[in-house]
Amino acid sequence: MPNTTQAPLFSATAIAKNFGGVQALRGVDFDVVAGEIHALLGQNGAGKSTLVKILNGVHPAGSYTGTIQLDGRPFSFASPADARSNGVGYVPQEIEVLEQLSVAENVFAGRTGLGAGMLVHQRKLEQRAGAIFADLGIDINPRAYVASLTSAQRHLVMIARAIVTKPRVLMLDEPTASLSGTEVDALFAVLRRLKAQGVAMIYITHRLPEVLAICDRATVLRDGQVAVRIARENFNAETFIFSMSGQRLQRLFPEHAAPVGAPTVLEVRHLTVAGHSGAVHGARDINLCVAAGEIVGLAGLLGSGRSEILHGIYGRVAAEGEVRVTGQTVSIKSPRDARAAGIALLTEDRKRDGLLFNLPVGANITIGNLAPLSRHGMVRGGLERSSILTAMRALNVKASSPQAAVTHQSGGNQQKLLFARALMRAPKVLLLDEPTKGVDAATRHEIYRLLVELAEKGVGLLIVASELEELIGLCDRCLVVADGRIVDEFGRSEGGEDRVLRSVTAAQAERHAAAAQVSA
Amino acid sequence: MNSAAEVSAPPRDARSFRRRLIGLIAVGEVGVLAAMALLIAFFWLLEPAFLSERNIRAILNVVSFVGIIAIGQTILLVAGEFDLSVGSVAGLSAVVAAKLMTAAALPVSVGILGGIGVGALIGLLNGLIVVRLGIPAFIQTLGMLFIGQGLIQVVTGGYPVYPLPEAINTIGGTDLAFGLGWSFAFFIVAAIAADFVLRRTVLGRNMYATGGNKEVAHLVGINTSAYKINAFITVGALSAIAGMFVMADLGSGGTSIGSGWELTVIAGVVVGGVSLFGGAGTVAGGVVGILMLKVVQSGLVVIGVNSNWQQIAVGVIMVMAVGLDIVRRRYFIAGA
Repeated sequence: MPNTTQAPLFSATAIAKNFGGVQALRGVDFDVVAGEIHALLGQNGAGKSTLVKILNGVHPAGSYTGTIQLDGRPFSFASPADARSNGVGYVPQEIEVLEQLSVAENVFAGRTGLGAGMLVHQRKLEQRAGAIFADLGIDINPRAYVASLTSAQRHLVMIARAIVTKPRVLMLDEPTASLSGTEVDALFAVLRRLKAQGVAMIYITHRLPEVLAICDRATVLRDGQVAVRIARENFNAETFIFSMSGQRLQRLFPEHAAPVGAPTVLEVRHLTVAGHSGAVHGARDINLCVAAGEIVGLAGLLGSGRSEILHGIYGRVAAEGEVRVTGQTVSIKSPRDARAAGIALLTEDRKRDGLLFNLPVGANITIGNLAPLSRHGMVRGGLERSSILTAMRALNVKASSPQAAVTHQSGGNQQKLLFARALMRAPKVLLLDEPTKGVDAATRHEIYRLLVELAEKGVGLLIVASELEELIGLCDRCLVVADGRIVDEFGRSEGGEDRVLRSVTAAQAERHAAAAQVSA
Repeated sequence: MNSAAEVSAPPRDARSFRRRLIGLIAVGEVGVLAAMALLIAFFWLLEPAFLSERNIRAILNVVSFVGIIAIGQTILLVAGEFDLSVGSVAGLSAVVAAKLMTAAALPVSVGILGGIGVGALIGLLNGLIVVRLGIPAFIQTLGMLFIGQGLIQVVTGGYPVYPLPEAINTIGGTDLAFGLGWSFAFFIVAAIAADFVLRRTVLGRNMYATGGNKEVAHLVGINTSAYKINAFITVGALSAIAGMFVMADLGSGGTSIGSGWELTVIAGVVVGGVSLFGGAGTVAGGVVGILMLKVVQSGLVVIGVNSNWQQIAVGVIMVMAVGLDIVRRRYFIAGA
């Protein structure tokens, strides 16, 4: 147990940062002492990643206010490399490895002075990597190619890469996001060794059981401020949940009530969805239904399988099970089948999976919807133009003309354009993955209103959103997804953000216990 | 998509002259046409014989062969793939057709259909391997280039197939107008049809979507695999037709038909504003690009420049054209 009253090794005082008028951090104090694991908690948007980016130099000195001290001396980092050379290491959430290189080469990637002059001394690299692994109790062959490793092993390689420079402070951003129960235990063993060596660690996570298991102190951020700081002896899952969700700036959601006794438009039975390549989680044995005019939310953490459920229903990834649309069983093998059945999907990533940058705004709206706008396979220019203008007006797409380039539209405008595309066929079921991601506050409001309007017209909506406040405020019913399963369900006024966090935490604790039993 | 008709549609409010000018420059083909006009004027001033009837006919005749392939290559590039085997396919189809007509003594029509069949079949093979097995088009079609060259030697034993039936010589020798024959007529008709398909039909629009972003196209219900495979088949069949027209023109199934065309075709359509990255360009642009390359090659010959310099000129023009296209996209389409 480190002495948390000793002088902090690394501290930040009164950190504040603006993103174009949005106050991301409002005077945050944070510190970590040698040999301590300090948890940093908070919901999406609370300011965790902004703080971490300031602490490791991604947001360089000068772009924020406040001071950072290392060993009692003021420091300011110009870049992540600068932070690293001063003994502050960082393990990002996403796995960033060089697949074509060996484990040892990955561990030492970017380091110089490892061989004679320009040459790399292969054996020396392998020996040194092997020594680091032995030291940490990691069982990976340094000569193996990274392409052959599991995502858990890759994460360990990234941690090894971060500690090559012998950092005194190590930041870990959701290191267990892609790990299974036993793999988490292996990671914890590594962290305990580092702790014994006196490394100060900042541990960012969404998973409360892990905080209870390994951390010495916890700081909860909310709305860019420190909501509470708790020492290990006072740890309590309820306290965390309360302070994470707590009172927040209220956002207005339009009034909506699901119609009583409306027919079911979407029914999913025993749907099992394959995971994306490399990912551990798909979704299994999903049962859900959405009534006409109902807004149903899928709540859960990133990687819980919530998006996979939408992709499985839409035929984007292989899935088994039964899907019924307005009572009719439909066989969905591809997005084409889903669209024919009256299902539309709004994808999460506009740039990668939504927009066609080679086509102008108008053609982006009509693509996939050209059949009614054509005769004998020829697009009827006048009809297309008038229906584009109608759609643009209905959704308030503010482009100068249908010929305008998509690149130059704002995020909100691009999102509305994709809504126009999805709605052109008047779908019965609309699947939405993060419908307000990366749009401005005004458009966000327009989108909320649009969703409620659609529900009132009898469309069934199934929404995935990371912001729980949004989901709770918008949805008539929430399904909580954890580990690819639906673990809880509650209606409007039957619970809030705390209920989601509680059921996710309970599901994780259960899995932890099950994994412990297996490994015991 | 820089559809000329759409861009020049009557503006709803009076645009300033500047905006109109920008709108015109934003049409991909206009830039290439302007550059070509300048080049023609340049060569003509240096050597008036450049615009002689004979020279113009020679240029158009050559363009008709390569241009037929350029139509297919443009469609395939728009769909997001490309084909390096077009020259080999042209040559192989020609000698197979020639062998069917002579050694196998089959009717001319069967020979022609056989030639087109060989081209389409190779296109199908290229498409299936690229789309289903995920082998990059560059590798697959480069491999097919060598396979095709080898097969030409296997089929002919290294000797040109000669003599050909009289009907073939008639096809090659017909003068429809201005000394231009069936190959030019086919080229013009095919170019207009293909340009119309890409510009105006659902099929064309879906092709642009497929080349622009395959995943997005798939998500809006487009069968992207089918589009790509059919584009490969189209290129293969058009290459075969071009090869057979050259055969008819020469009056023999020569073993060097199509040799080196693949790069000329790609350079030409790229000069005409067709994107190597897929989803952008028009058949009109691609065809004008090919025409411009041939104008430059012919012009340099006419004004007496050493033939080694012609190749250098082609290289310089291609890089410059793509550079100008990038600038144009950045500064002009931005204001659309």
